[in-house]
Amino acid sequence: MRERERSFPPAVEMKDVTLFYGNRAILRDFNLEVHLGERVLLKGPSGSGKSTVLHCLLGLAVPREGVIRVRGEPVDSRSVWKTRLYLGYVPQEPDLGRGTVRQVLEGPFAFRANEKLRKNLEWIPSLLRRFDLAQELLEKQASTLSGGEKQRVALIGAILLERSVVLLDEASSALDEENKRRVAEYFRETPDLTILAVSHDAAWENFATRTVSLAPAFREESA
Amino acid sequence: MNGIIHITPEQLGGGYLLLLIPLSVFLLKKVPIIRETGIAVIRMTVQLIFVGLYLQVVFRLNNPWLNLAWVGIMVGVADFSIIRGCGLRLSRFLFPVFIALAAGTLVPVFVFMGAILQRSNCLDAQYVIPLWGMILGNCLRADIIGLKNFYESLKKDEKLYLQSLAQGATLKEALDPYVREALQASLLPTVASMSTIGLVALPGMMTGVILAGVDPLTAISYQIAIMIAIFSGTTLTVFLALRLTLRRSFNSYGLLDPDVFRTK
Repeated sequence: MRERERSFPPAVEMKDVTLFYGNRAILRDFNLEVHLGERVLLKGPSGSGKSTVLHCLLGLAVPREGVIRVRGEPVDSRSVWKTRLYLGYVPQEPDLGRGTVRQVLEGPFAFRANEKLRKNLEWIPSLLRRFDLAQELLEKQASTLSGGEKQRVALIGAILLERSVVLLDEASSALDEENKRRVAEYFRETPDLTILAVSHDAAWENFATRTVSLAPAFREESA
Repeated sequence: MNGIIHITPEQLGGGYLLLLIPLSVFLLKKVPIIRETGIAVIRMTVQLIFVGLYLQVVFRLNNPWLNLAWVGIMVGVADFSIIRGCGLRLSRFLFPVFIALAAGTLVPVFVFMGAILQRSNCLDAQYVIPLWGMILGNCLRADIIGLKNFYESLKKDEKLYLQSLAQGATLKEALDPYVREALQASLLPTVASMSTIGLVALPGMMTGVILAGVDPLTAISYQIAIMIAIFSGTTLTVFLALRLTLRRSFNSYGLLDPDVFRTK
């Protein structure tokens, strides 16, 4: 790890980031560095801005101040379209949209940036087995899936895109203990991946190489 | 064929007696829209008297600039009511939607006037004002459905949209499904009316031409031409309305600006 830290920029980096929603400060002078290969657990009370941290890295929330970098490149209005391609993301309570599970999984490969990864769709059968999902699920309407099934399909979707950094937002909250263990095990067995996970689950505590705690930044201010 | 029969104000007054039917039903069943109906009937009468008198002058003068100014006012009023009807912010949408409406009506009207009717004066009041009005009325309805559908779906399915961006979509790739859905929702009513026309109801323009004493085959030619003009005009206006408003509605990160919606 030490050697990597020296030769590569951090996988993700946030420096003195302050973000407001309206008049409410969600993050204030927040700092974070996650290095390649690290598995970091982000903890904090609800409303402390854990999901917002992930959104900032993805360029889905724009901070008022501070610098955000992904693999050394700034996440700004010009390069955000490129830095998003380094990141896999499983949102909290994922919305899979319309269509069958197969269509949901194939959808992102229609984007020009992902076209060359299309062969990864061959991983689907083994990933379904790995996460204890039936092959027949592929032909089911995604909207009819249970919360736990949706989460695992969203995880598979993120894995298929083969990003080097994966952001997980309560990605196992609807899973039973056995499946939580399977998911954590998958990521542990893939050491090349850098993981930043928001979770309340104990299963992730053992799995993380480091824990970062977030304190609420509530403070009313005029925007 | 006979020409049109003129209706005197007294004869029209007799027509108003038909309103006793809805009035009796409302009173009998205590339907609470008597006041609104009264206001609507008065508004209809006053507005149409005003338009009738104005158009009389416009037709008599038949000045291309005056005709164009009248058309411009119609487009402006439609522009305003579309944005209000969609709950969007006027200051941001007024200009792009005006351009979309102007182009969506201008192209089919001039094709109709130039290629179909082969009028040398493309701004002849007798033709251009009713044609523009018919096409504009349909564009107005289609734009309201299209813009409302597009911006409300984006708000409702925000998570899904953000997920597409996170998965590496360009702005165009992430928005395409919403553009597709908005176009479909706004154009399906015209497609449906084209496929049932003549079977379910006799269309307005054809009826008007027949009442004016023209033979039915000429009337259907007008109807076919106007349906095609309406369909191409609505497609063009909705497409342009979406395309031209996009630039002002998303920031450079691809995120929808919440300010596009009107706040109370």
